[in-house]
Amino acid sequence: MSEAFIIAVPAKGRLQENAESFFARAGLTLLKPRGARDYRGSIADVPAIAVAYLSAAEIVEALAEGGAHFGVTGRDLVHELISDPDQRSIFIDDLGFGHANVVVAVPQAWIDVRSMADLDDVASAFRLKHERKMRVATKYVNLTRGFFAARGITDYRIVESSGATEGAPAAGTAELIVDITTTGSTLAANGLKVIEDGIILRSQASLVASRQAKWGVLERDTARIVLDRIAAQKRARAVREVRTRFAACDDALLAQAKQRFGVEAPFGGPTSSGMLTLHCPPQYVHALASLLREQGADHVSVMRLEYVFSRSNSLYTKLESGL
Amino acid sequence: MSAADSTRNDALIAAFQRAGYLRVVPPILQPAGPFLDLSGEDIRRRMYLTSDAQGHELCLRPDLTIPVSREYLASAAVGRPQGFCYLGPVFRQPRAVTDGVSEFWQAGIESFGRTDTAAADAEMVSLGLEAAAHFSLNEPAIYLGDVGLFSALVAALDLAPAWKRRLIKDFNHKSTLAQDLDLLAIGAAQAPPEYQGVLNALAGSDPKAAHALVTDLLSIAGITAVGGRSVGEIADRFLEQAALGAKASLPKEVRALIERFLAISGDPDDAAAELRTFADDSKIALDASLDLFENRTGFLAARGIAVDRIRFSTAFGRGVDYYTGVVFELHDAQGRIAGQLVAGGRYDGLLTRLGSAKPIPAVGFAVWIERLATLQGDT
Repeated sequence: MSEAFIIAVPAKGRLQENAESFFARAGLTLLKPRGARDYRGSIADVPAIAVAYLSAAEIVEALAEGGAHFGVTGRDLVHELISDPDQRSIFIDDLGFGHANVVVAVPQAWIDVRSMADLDDVASAFRLKHERKMRVATKYVNLTRGFFAARGITDYRIVESSGATEGAPAAGTAELIVDITTTGSTLAANGLKVIEDGIILRSQASLVASRQAKWGVLERDTARIVLDRIAAQKRARAVREVRTRFAACDDALLAQAKQRFGVEAPFGGPTSSGMLTLHCPPQYVHALASLLREQGADHVSVMRLEYVFSRSNSLYTKLESGL
Repeated sequence: MSAADSTRNDALIAAFQRAGYLRVVPPILQPAGPFLDLSGEDIRRRMYLTSDAQGHELCLRPDLTIPVSREYLASAAVGRPQGFCYLGPVFRQPRAVTDGVSEFWQAGIESFGRTDTAAADAEMVSLGLEAAAHFSLNEPAIYLGDVGLFSALVAALDLAPAWKRRLIKDFNHKSTLAQDLDLLAIGAAQAPPEYQGVLNALAGSDPKAAHALVTDLLSIAGITAVGGRSVGEIADRFLEQAALGAKASLPKEVRALIERFLAISGDPDDAAAELRTFADDSKIALDASLDLFENRTGFLAARGIAVDRIRFSTAFGRGVDYYTGVVFELHDAQGRIAGQLVAGGRYDGLLTRLGSAKPIPAVGFAVWIERLATLQGDT
């Protein structure tokens, strides 16, 4: 197994489900041959790959140390747990799920604190009045320090928290918190509010490659297969295929459609009989269909696509140039 | 060359001891809290942190000023004048993986409880120069600053307390100080805060009325007070903000004043003359701080230091929150090595913050052994 190409995937919960369906859409079906409780898996038709089901922090560690080639993880953890993320990992793509923000939140009772500038002022006043610094409970020690430093806030102390951070102010173990939130409802339930310019990081699940892993010819080939499928699925999701045929369909019309709707003609311009296949961003499909009919088309068909494979693969290029 | 086993280091520490400083050897493993509280969270990424079985945060000492201060506070001499010297390793994570070492040696002096401020300040600079001379560095560049002068200026300015706090805090972070001045100057152009209505309602009211208003606001909003600030603190800040709103921007002449002040530099005698003129022109009373400054220069000269070699600047700070008075650094005049070789300053507020019931004056400096040894090896 040590020779395998390893993809690290969250071991439980919504993130695991979302990651599995993301890979499945890309034609990479995750299998657990020894049952659902197994922490090792594989991918249906790519035997070179081993899937490792790990906890969120373990995934980041595996990426930082080279124990996995690819990992599905949140940006928040990459930036928190790896001190030099660009040296150790390559960000390949956002995956479109697991959205959450790392935010600065203070008690709702602090009605005079709306901005980080307010917080800076209050922090200094707090130290002078109480002879100690304001405490910030968080598990995001590095993100907090970097964000506060960039805003010139120095009068605070970090209290590391490993769970239920939002309860710290009410419990009296901290004055404010930095934590991850999706809707803010947990914060509100604990009498906290997010500071307006206190969003430290907008995070979502991402595909990240390790720079520390072994990247020989075999590993690169495997990566190319995986990224080819992901890119093909991504491209397919981003467009609708629009087909038509009519005599007046010419290069001038194509140029107009490109300019107005950003369409592409993956198989070239109209044929001599006026046959044309376009890839159009979903939001312009109806406008494009109207334009084509105004110009003489009798029929315009629009399809969702499964995959769009291209010779060039921007995701693989990203990996290659990062290695 | 090993920093640890050098007879030259022993000679240095012996010289400190002959000068009347008691050698202390504080533990390498220290509680992390005081460093984070007093040096700021920014030092956390430079520290080697660990914890004990009870969950207390510990660290390998990143410097010796705080450990020596704690030894003094725990000693029988506490409250009385006593000086200490030290020699040993300190531990800091390199800023980047590629540069620097994580363990290096420092020697130094911390002097507590002396009330002859100017003389004690000058003695530190002088002993720092002697330390450099132990490594055959006889004419280092001397950079001098005085945090007390800036504090005195800010105290004398007609500014809202919130702005004073901020200017003092940001003096150590020069980039943010410039931003502050910009913010102050354009304050009026900023959009009024959303709670402007509250501020208007509070303008001119007394603390008691403000307290009542904030209490009402909280109860209307259904907020039961949670978090470490009292209703009184919130009301006080609203009052401050209301007062600030009345004159939200810094008058041009005040900004010009601060900038003119921060531009004053040169040798200490010239700078002092310039500062006297500045104080007269602007009708700002800097007398006490300036008297101390000139006194100190006198003691420096009396110790045989050529005052015209000192490069003083009002804007010079060391980026450490706890300095309150003189700050200085010695550098290689030929620039063969980056960073300070000897550095220190006065930190009169530190011992209170470490738990002393009454304020105890303190001043000291540290010597970067490997840097000096490298230079000596070069020549």
